[in-house]
This record gives sequence, C-alpha cells and structure tokens, in this order.
Amino acid sequence: MAQPPPQPPARDRWSTWAAVTVAGLLAFSVIMGLIVLPVLQAPNAHLDAWTAICRAVGLRPGTPAQPQPLFNAKAAPVSQVRWSPATLRILAAADPRPGAALAGAVCVNCHGEDGASPSADFPHLSGQSAAAIFKQLSDFRSGARVNAQMTPVAAALTDRQLAEVAAYYSSFGTQAFMGVRYDLGDPAISRLAHRGDPARRIPPCESCHARGVGGPPEAPVLTGQHAEYLTRELNLYASGQRQNDVYRRMRDIAQRLTPEERQRLGAFYQGVR
Amino acid sequence: MPTNKRLILAHLWVAFLVFAAACGLGVWQMWVRSPLSAPQDAPARYYQSVTGHGVAMAYVLTTFFIMGFGYFTAETSLKAEIPAPRLAWGSFWTALAGVALTVGSIASGRADVLYTFYPPITATVWFYVGLVLVVVASWVWCGQMIAAMARFKRARPGEPVPLAMYATVANAVMWLWTTAGVTVEILFQILPAVLGWTHTIDVGLSRTLFSWTLHAIVYFWLFPAYIAFYTMAPRAAGGRLYSDTMGRLSFALFLLYSLPVGMHHLFMDPEHSTGFKFIQMSLTALVSIPTLLTVFTISASMELAGRLRGGQGLFGWIRALPWDQSMVLATGLAFFMLWFGGGGGLINMSYGMNAMVHNTAWVTAHFHLIFGGTVVIMYFAIAYEIWPSLTGRAAGSPGARRLQLWLWAVGMMVMTLPWHYLGLQGQWRRVASFDYSDPRIAAWGPWVVVSLGGGVVLLASALLFIANLAPRSSAPRLTPAPTYAFALAAHPPRSVPRALNGFALWNVLVAILMAVAYGFPLLQFFTGDAPRALIHPLSGG
Repeated sequence: MAQPPPQPPARDRWSTWAAVTVAGLLAFSVIMGLIVLPVLQAPNAHLDAWTAICRAVGLRPGTPAQPQPLFNAKAAPVSQVRWSPATLRILAAADPRPGAALAGAVCVNCHGEDGASPSADFPHLSGQSAAAIFKQLSDFRSGARVNAQMTPVAAALTDRQLAEVAAYYSSFGTQAFMGVRYDLGDPAISRLAHRGDPARRIPPCESCHARGVGGPPEAPVLTGQHAEYLTRELNLYASGQRQNDVYRRMRDIAQRLTPEERQRLGAFYQGVR
Repeated sequence: MPTNKRLILAHLWVAFLVFAAACGLGVWQMWVRSPLSAPQDAPARYYQSVTGHGVAMAYVLTTFFIMGFGYFTAETSLKAEIPAPRLAWGSFWTALAGVALTVGSIASGRADVLYTFYPPITATVWFYVGLVLVVVASWVWCGQMIAAMARFKRARPGEPVPLAMYATVANAVMWLWTTAGVTVEILFQILPAVLGWTHTIDVGLSRTLFSWTLHAIVYFWLFPAYIAFYTMAPRAAGGRLYSDTMGRLSFALFLLYSLPVGMHHLFMDPEHSTGFKFIQMSLTALVSIPTLLTVFTISASMELAGRLRGGQGLFGWIRALPWDQSMVLATGLAFFMLWFGGGGGLINMSYGMNAMVHNTAWVTAHFHLIFGGTVVIMYFAIAYEIWPSLTGRAAGSPGARRLQLWLWAVGMMVMTLPWHYLGLQGQWRRVASFDYSDPRIAAWGPWVVVSLGGGVVLLASALLFIANLAPRSSAPRLTPAPTYAFALAAHPPRSVPRALNGFALWNVLVAILMAVAYGFPLLQFFTGDAPRALIHPLSGG
C-alpha cells in the first residue's frame, strides 16, 4: 500500500495543555498537602495553623515521643532477679578484671581454665552471656536454685562481684567455647530447635536461646555446652526439681519433651568441634 | 524480522532459565514459612534464598527480558538493525558477568540482604559490583533504543515513530531516570560503607534514595506487558488497536507518574513530613489514569475484534474472541489479575489505609499478584508470540501453551489471595518462620499451606514454559520463516503531535515534578542535623 507523504506535525497545542494539566494537578496536591489539610487538621492536634503548616513541610519536628514509664512490677517469686535499669547498670559497669581474679581463685576448680570445663558435671562458662551467669549466681545466692557446691559460693558474693565474674566469662565472646556450632546430623531435632513443635505447643529453642533474638535476657547460650549437662538440667526442669525459670517457661517445655528428645537436644547443642 | 536473533534469544534464555530456578526457591520459601516440615530449614538459608529469589525475579528476569524484547521491537518495528550490535553483545556479557558475581555472592552466604537496598544491613562488595554491572549494561541498552529512534526520526522526518518503539524508548528514558536514585545510594553510601571507609550511615537518606528507584522500577518491569496489550494483543485477536494516540498518551503518562511517587513506600518512615507524603500519594493516584486508559483502549480493541468475528450483543463479542490464541488468553488472564492487584495497590498507596497493611504479608502478596501475575504472564505470551520469528519453530503445542498460561493464572490466584488475607491478619513480611505454637498464629497455618499449593502449581507452570520454549528437532520448521508484524491501529496515524512522537516535553515535566516531590525531602538531609535515630552504625559487610 502506497503511504501518503507524511505531514509535518501541525503546530499543536499538546505541549501547552500537557504542561498546564500537569502543573495544575501538581499545584492541587501541593496546596492540599502543605496548606489545606494541615490547617483543617490543626485543631485536632491542638496546634495553630502556622505550626501545622511548618510541620507538614518538615521545617519543624513533630510531637516528641513520650517517655515510657519505668518497669516496676514485683519480681516473680521463682527468682529475685529483675532486669531493672539498676540491674542493667550493674551489669554494664562490671569490670571483668576483678572477675578474672575471682574466677582464677574459685571457679577454675570445677569450671576449668578460662571457663572451659573438662567434666560434663559442670557447665562451660566461657563465652556464656553475662546476664545468664548473673541470673544463675543470684538465684543460687537467694535460694531460688539449689546446688550443694554453688549455693555457699554465691552466698559469699555481692551483686557487684557476681556481675564482675559474669563480665569476665562473657568477655570471651562468641569465638570461645560456647556458641561454636550445632550438630546438624539430626534433622528432626534441628527442626525442633529452630521451629518447635506447634502440635505440642513447644516453641522453638532458638526463639530465646539464639544470640541476639531478643528473648528473655537470662536465656543462656546453649551451643557448645556439655550434652550431659543440658540433658540433666532439662530432666530437672521436667521433674520440677529445678524451678528458677520465670513463668515456668522451661518446666512447661521440658515436660512436653520426651526423655529421648531431651537427650538428643543435649547432643544437638553440644555440637561438633 | 529481527537481524540479531541470537542476541535476542541469548537475553531471553538467561531471563527464563534464571526465572525457572527462582520459582523453585520461591516454593521452598513458602514451604519453610508453612507449618509443614521443610528440608534445609534454617533461618539463614531462608534469607539467602529470598535474596536469590528476589534478585533473580526483580533484576535478572526483568532486565534481560526487557533488553532482549527491546532489541526485537527496535529491529522489527523500525525494520532496521540496532545501531551497535557488537556493543549490545558487550553489554550482554557484562550483565551476565554481573549476574555471576551476584549469584556467587548469594550462594556463598555473603549476601542475605534481600533484594532491596536498605542499610545498615549490607552485603559483600561483590554483590553490589555485580548489580552495578547489570545496571550499566542496561544503560547501554537504553542508549541503543534512544539512538535507534533518533535515527528513524532523522531518516523520516515527520513520520510517527511506531507505537511499539515509542513505548520501548519511553521505558528506556524512564529507566535512566529511575536508576539515578539507587546508583547514587550505592556509590555514595553503600560502597563506602561496605569498603570500610565510613562507620555510620544515614538510613533516612538511603531509604529516600531507594524510594526514588523503587516504584519506577516496577513500571520498568510492567512496560513490556503494556506494549503487548497495545501492539500485539489486538492483532492476535484478529482486530486492530482502537486508538494509537491513547497508547502514546498512556506510555508518556507512565513515564511521568511512575517517578515522583516513590515516597508511598515510606509512609511509616519518620524522616519525611506528612505534606510531602501527601503530595507523592496524590501523584501516585494519577498512575490510575494511564492504567484505566489502557483498560478502556484494549477492551475497545478486543470488542472490535470480537465483533469482526461475528460476536453480537452486549457481551457476545467476548465469547467470539479467539481464546485459543495464547496472546489473547494471556491478555484476558492478565486483565483479570489486574483488577485484584490494582485494587490492592490502591490500598497500599493510600496514606491512611497503608497503615494497616504496612510491612505485612499483604504487600508481598500484592507485588506477586501484580508483577508475577499480570506482568509475567504477558512475558510468557510475548515469548510464545515472537518465538516462531526467532527460531523458525512454534513454541510447543497450542494446547501446552494454553495449559501453561492457565496453570500460571490459577496458581497465582491460589497463592496470593490467602497471602493477602494473612497480611490483613497481621502476618509479618521478611521473617523466616512463624511460631505456630502461639494460638494467635496457629490459625494462619492452613492458609500458608494453601499458598504453598498455589506455589507448587506455579513451579509446574514455569517448568512447562521452559519445556515449551526448548528447542526440539521434532517440531516442524515453519516455512517460509515467519515474520512478525505489530498490530495496526484502526486509524493508523499519519502524523502525530510532536509531544507524542518524542520525549523532550515529558523529560522537562518529569524534572519539574521530581524537583517538587523530592527537592526539599532530599535537601533536608544536607541542611539540618540528622536525628540520632537515623544515623546507624554499620554492622559490617
């Protein structure tokens, strides 16, 4: 088909109209967003119109956040430790050097050099979180957790000394004994640890015990711990002999686990070195 | 008929093979999020997989497909070879090297930052280098498209640029604007951070720069689908395009209103004031104009075709359409999904309503439906449509093509509708698992399993798609070698207003809109002291 010769574009009004329309729509949204809506809504926020406009533009900041009331609930009777600002200050200010001296004089006899315990009768401490160690020592001292060896040791120490020992052992960091790696050779148990078992209302261990998950501060690091120790403590929770867990969390969970699962979880968390 | 068939096929094959692999990752991700027991179930694996899935779908599939389809459109519609084929091969290999670097970074576990660029989480430097290579290659493609159109206009002054090419160049121009935001973010914020030159990062600024890119990039992906609606579907249906002018106007408006709107991703962010969020919301709402223009024009074109085929009455023309044609079927299914996806999008972009769906699974469900559904199904249809002219053979049997498209649409609806519902129930996005032992969360489980079922159907469809495209010696060679022609307009334009034959006007308007929408919001980062909450220490690469 023969194409007719192309026409030169007529002097069109497209550009003008397009520009006018776009400018009009833009002006509408600017006036609505920066002037009309702020002025109309200002009384609801107890603002004068000018302040509202300045806020809408971003020239002045919005209402500052309200300070939250301090946490001041009564401690649950199972433990006297509460994560109040005072406790957190003690932990934050703790100096690991006196803690190291104390550990070298006392703890080393059972928990080993640098907290790497040679015997499964005693847990590793090297790389454990400071909050976890502080909580357990405080519970030994208050009687919330009972152990023939630990109770008299803890009773002789002040809050500050407990925090210093805790700071010393946690100073080894994640590269130390604790937190090395999981034993991934047991997929069913790995799943239990990472996903829990909804049908039995068992939450995942990792929702509290993984580093940095934001669970309860006292939840200890488990990876790298002696398998026998972990299994023994789970069994003590299950039988109710150990009961310093806030809100019965660990007693409830341990009871829902079968004895075999407790044993395999211990092996899973001891991991492979 | 395209000259550089191998170039086009190379781009499309990279896009589709990466796409099929990423579909597999997607199914596994939904499986992990469900209460069923999935293999390799660990949170670190999940984030690694989501990063791979997102990068593959959002950057590799789209960029390679758009480049390949762009070369096809340029050579077919302008009936001339692209300006620099050797350069095009160079950019192909550059982009492929970029993909290899990026995939390597993800596979080695050193990039699990998802496919968004939200510091302070950062990945290894190679992840960013790889993506920068892909972007640079796409800029070369943009240059080729713009040069091809300029050459055509010089050779035939006053003649309208074919609609398919006008739309492709609109997309190239938009892409150049789009990538400016994320490029600045990577070069001046992320790379210095990853290389250890800086120790803090202003996340407010980086989120703002990424928002510049974040919405327009979606329209970059969407353009091929709209090009197919306007320039392929009417002809496949046996009719003509109702209005060529409407098409040009729609593409120009997409260029205009996909850019100054990205702040609707930041409605809940503290670093911007309400006024600018409102302005960008208003501009976002205007994207509905080209969308509705398109729905109208394509419906009218289909009605023309249906009536030409003997359809009678108010709706009889719908039944008369050739639904056995994959392009027609895909257009119908894409429009069906567009109603749901578009409706969900209106909720996302509304400042007030956004608050209830922000950061929930609703958002992920929405972009899977609108991109994975409406857009990707048109990618399939385009591939089926142009395959004979590229390879000399049809892509699979007509029945297999139809089955594949139906599986995709059904799978997508089954996957995304429960996912939307879960978002309204408050299910978070970007998390690796849910604690189904919590009674409030336990009720989500069955719906996630339904979504997983939809995902399995999608994977089956993706594999069937690859099987349809795979070269088969048994398929009869079509003789003579088929040529491809785009749809004609009911009234083919003999001359069009200058504004609708080029982009000078629209570029000026985009610049003005961007200056108003992003000027002060960006300037404030440099004039005032940033609140401490916005300056983050880096977690390390």
